[in-house]
Amino acid sequence: MFSAFTSSIFFLAALTLWMIGAIGSLAFMKNDQRANLWGNFFAIFGAVAGLISSFLVLVFGSAFSFNIPSSLHLLSLSFNVDKLSGFFIFAISLISLFTSIYALGYVKHYYKKYNIGTLGFFYNIFLAGMVIVSSASSILFFLIVWEIMSLASYFLVIFEHKERSNIQAGSLYFIMTHIGTAFITLAFLLLYHATGTLDFEIIKSNIGAVKPLTKNIVFILALIGFGTKAGIIPFHIWLPSAHPAAPSHVSALMSGVMIKTGIYMLIRIFMDIMADAPLWWGVVILLIGAISSLLGVLYALTEHDIKKVLAYSSIENIGIILLGLGSSLIFWSMNMKPFAILGLTAALFHTLNHAVFKSLLFMGAGAVISEMHTRNMEEYGGLIKYMPQTAFFFLLGSMSISALPPFNGFFSEWLIFQSLFKGISGSDISVCWAFMLAAGSLAFTGGLAAMCFVNVFGATFLARPRSPEVYHAKESNVTLRIGMFALAALTLVIGITAGTVTNILSGVANDLAIFRSSPPAYYSTPLTVGLKNNFASISMPFIFISLVLVSAIIFFIVFLFTRKRKIKFGTTWDCGTTLSPRMEITATGFANSIIAIFRGVLKPTKQVSIKYRDENMRYFPKTETVKLGTKDIYRGYFYRPLHIFTIKVSEYVKRIQSGNINMYILYILLTLIAILLIVAV
Amino acid sequence: MNPLSPQFLFFLETVLLASVIFMHLTRKNFTVVFLYTVQSLIISGSLFYSSLMEASFLLMAAAIMTFLVKVIVAPFFFYRLIQKHRLQFSVSTYLNGPMTFIVLALLIAFSHSRFFKPLAIISPANGDALLLSMSMIFISIFLTVNRKGALSQMVGILSMENAIVSFAYVSGLETTAGAQVGILFIIFIWIIIASVFASMIYHYFGSLDVSEMKHLKEE
Repeated sequence: MFSAFTSSIFFLAALTLWMIGAIGSLAFMKNDQRANLWGNFFAIFGAVAGLISSFLVLVFGSAFSFNIPSSLHLLSLSFNVDKLSGFFIFAISLISLFTSIYALGYVKHYYKKYNIGTLGFFYNIFLAGMVIVSSASSILFFLIVWEIMSLASYFLVIFEHKERSNIQAGSLYFIMTHIGTAFITLAFLLLYHATGTLDFEIIKSNIGAVKPLTKNIVFILALIGFGTKAGIIPFHIWLPSAHPAAPSHVSALMSGVMIKTGIYMLIRIFMDIMADAPLWWGVVILLIGAISSLLGVLYALTEHDIKKVLAYSSIENIGIILLGLGSSLIFWSMNMKPFAILGLTAALFHTLNHAVFKSLLFMGAGAVISEMHTRNMEEYGGLIKYMPQTAFFFLLGSMSISALPPFNGFFSEWLIFQSLFKGISGSDISVCWAFMLAAGSLAFTGGLAAMCFVNVFGATFLARPRSPEVYHAKESNVTLRIGMFALAALTLVIGITAGTVTNILSGVANDLAIFRSSPPAYYSTPLTVGLKNNFASISMPFIFISLVLVSAIIFFIVFLFTRKRKIKFGTTWDCGTTLSPRMEITATGFANSIIAIFRGVLKPTKQVSIKYRDENMRYFPKTETVKLGTKDIYRGYFYRPLHIFTIKVSEYVKRIQSGNINMYILYILLTLIAILLIVAV
Repeated sequence: MNPLSPQFLFFLETVLLASVIFMHLTRKNFTVVFLYTVQSLIISGSLFYSSLMEASFLLMAAAIMTFLVKVIVAPFFFYRLIQKHRLQFSVSTYLNGPMTFIVLALLIAFSHSRFFKPLAIISPANGDALLLSMSMIFISIFLTVNRKGALSQMVGILSMENAIVSFAYVSGLETTAGAQVGILFIIFIWIIIASVFASMIYHYFGSLDVSEMKHLKEE
């Protein structure tokens, strides 16, 4: 019905609109209002074009590829949008559409403080970068756009450059992303060396000639490189700093879709380009997923910075996606392709879901922060009275991320569970333990995530205000609410229409060459999704209708019995004391029991500082401050030793720079001899 | 095809190699410059002979230029530098005499090892001469490494350039006359700059011993 030409035209239109948005924002940089409108409206138009293009690819199979020749032989601008690319472009466009609507109102609080033109410029470049990353089909072109995407996001992270902590977060992000890029480059160079081409398609067709050892090294390098971008543990340390530092609509994009470009490339390389994955690849990914999901949610629980909670939660969700991907790789290596499709579909579904609810939550957090001017949840409380709609949208997002039915998060986790259960029942003991560990981790993660978001929602919106700023808080601007409403609605719509979405995602999985002729291990209709072996099935519309009916019945019964009661207003019984916010359970207090249980992993810290009335006598304390926290074990046991080792090596290497010209010439002579020897051998 | 007979070319290469070895042995800067002049004379003479044999005016011009720059101008600048700063002796080396000999022997052995045997393919008749010129390249670089005096280092670099020219000549890989003139022009400019630079170094440090120039290094 729709040709590839139509989808490619919309694809190019999206890129063009984002470029116009970027350049126009810079042109209007002296007028905040115009720069904001120009940058975000073009971002919206670009997102709509991207949505149409990717929708045509996903639903009508209008895949396309084209090449824009360049004077440099190796640097051809090659695009290839198949269903897998189309899916990621769809997710990026979908989220960017609503973040851009949200930004129209959100950016206003930066007027006269920061340069809105540069924000619009980097924002549009960032959007275009993510889409091109998902569609580039040559190594060199990919690396260039990957770098553009990383740099644009770096400048967005340090946008609020007057905050010193943001600059530090940006620097950490900059370093980590480039370490990741170094690994990616090494992986690609190995592939280039083995196949003699930079084109992904030709590499794919020549991959049979690549030695297994080379493939294994590429796997490790790509996993570290793209895993750093995705935020897998222990390469995640940039994420909890960088995501909160960026403006909230950018945080939503970074957490919602940018880190998914890492997932996209993992799927592209491991399941598309490098066929015949050995079993251990899947096991490694499964274990990393289990560790990342569990530790991610545990760290989220210990935080009281609302955006850091969400950032850690992204690590958790990346872990959940990796559980699906890992199980898919394992099934594939065991030649159980129908279940491999199940695992991949589950991973893709959770990718979409996480993009939707995490963006919603970041936008909700942004709305709260713009009113409260702090990210510390301990200073919130009772905001539901002042920001009821924002609170409602945030609640829907929290329910979705906590995997409560009938929201979308529930369904994708259900699918991943099915995949893991099949792994437990259908594999031998050498792999079964990994699936058991993963299933246990996912079950734990689900419970802890629910607890985490009860904590966040309760500490932010419920109970009494814990700071005077709360009393001045106002409901969010209309564009903010439109953006949040749309995503909140999507959490429900995707959940109820899970069967239809599963069908589309099956198409994405089946579009990969390795799964092309294999039917999935499940059936999906708009009403029901179930495994073909009758192990389990689910009907999301039925769950939704049941919940609505049960709620209506409960409401009706309550109404029936209480309709004649008179409402009497009185003072809450307070045991004879005066109620105050200090009596409320805080976010830190709420999480304390969990921290105590997992103290072996979380390594809680406690700093007590006391000020005395008389410093010499020290009998009567004036104030006592207790600061609770957790030790950063990754910095302490991984990055700090690495840092010390690097410094020592650098000190040693520095001796080479003696300042003596004779030594330098000696180096030249030795290098010359070494090169001659290498060439001769 | 090289106009000189293989035996004569081998003889010339032997003299060139001997000149570099003597540069290592001598303690006088005057002798180092003299040996460089001898090298350059052999190179320019060979080029001149080739130009006569090939009846090429451009090649003759290049040979005359070589003679002017390497045999007249460069030694003139170096002699002036020696006289101006009284640098008649330059005995400072990093390695003592016996150690220097050992390294020279190793470098010659290395350039005659199996790694460089394939070079003979370039010019099978002059294979041995090629290996000698290869030895000369290494030994010239080693001169700049081992000597502490800036003047010896400058001559070492020029000697290496002579070694490369001789390698190209023996192997028949000569560049066009125009390119040779260009290279000579660069060498001419380099000699002037290096001389001026050496004078400035002497002015500031009171010595041309590079190991004395500690202040150049960032502390």
